[in-house]
Amino acid sequence: MTDLLTYPDVVQYAVPFFIAAILIELLWIVFRGKGGRYETRDAVTSLIMGAGNVASGIALGFLAWGVFMVLWRITPLDLGTAWWVVALCFVLDDLRYYWVHRFGHRIRWVWASHVNHHSSQHYNLTTALRQTWTGTFTFMMVVRAPLILLGFHPAMVLFVGGLNLIYQFWIHTEAIGKMPRWFEALMNTPSHHRVHHGRNARYLDCNYAGVFIVWDKLFGTFVPEQEDERPDYGLVHNLGTFNPLRVAFHEWVGMFTDMAQPGLTWRERLMYAIAPPGWCHDGSRQTSDGIKRSHLQRHPEDRGTPGFE
Amino acid sequence: MPLHILITLVVAGIAFIALLTWAFGLSRPLRLKTSDEARAAWLRHWPEDTVGAVHIAPDGAAALIETDHGPGVVFAMGADSTGHRLDGAEIRETPKGLRIIFHDFATPRLDVPLPPEARARWQQILTEAA
Repeated sequence: MTDLLTYPDVVQYAVPFFIAAILIELLWIVFRGKGGRYETRDAVTSLIMGAGNVASGIALGFLAWGVFMVLWRITPLDLGTAWWVVALCFVLDDLRYYWVHRFGHRIRWVWASHVNHHSSQHYNLTTALRQTWTGTFTFMMVVRAPLILLGFHPAMVLFVGGLNLIYQFWIHTEAIGKMPRWFEALMNTPSHHRVHHGRNARYLDCNYAGVFIVWDKLFGTFVPEQEDERPDYGLVHNLGTFNPLRVAFHEWVGMFTDMAQPGLTWRERLMYAIAPPGWCHDGSRQTSDGIKRSHLQRHPEDRGTPGFE
Repeated sequence: MPLHILITLVVAGIAFIALLTWAFGLSRPLRLKTSDEARAAWLRHWPEDTVGAVHIAPDGAAALIETDHGPGVVFAMGADSTGHRLDGAEIRETPKGLRIIFHDFATPRLDVPLPPEARARWQQILTEAA
């Protein structure tokens, strides 16, 4: 069993590709007059969030790495480094991503980190880079533990995780409509992921997939993009600032402010951290389930249609 | 990748993309021109509200919205908008208009340029609602 296995940091190597692809998308939109929207401050905020994400990875990555190496020393299993092991690791890591992402929308503690990825009202390739600075503090690294305990080397697990993130870059665009039917059936695509970024009641809390959309179909969270309902991008309550520090930390501040309110029971304080976003001890706010129910009261004709089943 | 190359790439990339979007005229902020536009912008954020009167600031960057849930303000966020209720907000007069302090980390404050007459009207509505 080796500790010294290394793989390239593929996300860092992909940075030139990210910049080139953004420039191509921007020029496409400007000169073709379709395929999405760009706005200066929104794009700059997204790019700064992306840079901050890389910086936080460099600064805090050793914490997750330390935990993974402890697990690697504990496990008696070592699957080696054959190509099929890497491929299997990629698929299982994508399943891991599905659940971390689902937790990221259903547990406020994790949402506090993930929310900034959804905080743009635009949907273009810069939105893909609007990533968290605080992922380490969600402790979602533990969801990778089973992979390592099964015998996948930590370096391999991080490598396929990087490939997963790179795959997800290109799906953050309105410039691509739909891919061939077989591809849409199997893979996460721009169409599926536009739905995930929609703040429409219909599109809340669905399409969590990273690479393979089959996970959503398997676990009942898939909603197809509707031709008659364009996704309205952003948050249910959109931010009133482009300040990257506020974008990065606003939900953490909101959550701890809620938890610190006087007169709450300890259970209520805990629920502000672990219940779905929008949970409130006095019922004055709405979770995504409540928003869907309210929508159906106003639009009963939508009952039974995708997203309201 | 060596760190100094990564940093150079990132900084230059962000600066170039920002410059291009600005040069292509993609920095123009949203301007609310009609009451219907302001009403639609509010209902996009608060779809359950019943909207009453709408008061658009002269520059179109913000509008005071009277609703059955109390007053709120909808305002430009780049090319888009956001809407915020005003319960708990602090209103201060400035030389050019009003400053609204939301006491919300995600939406700290908004400066609304208003001539004296409109300023008085906004303050009256906000005082009555308080």
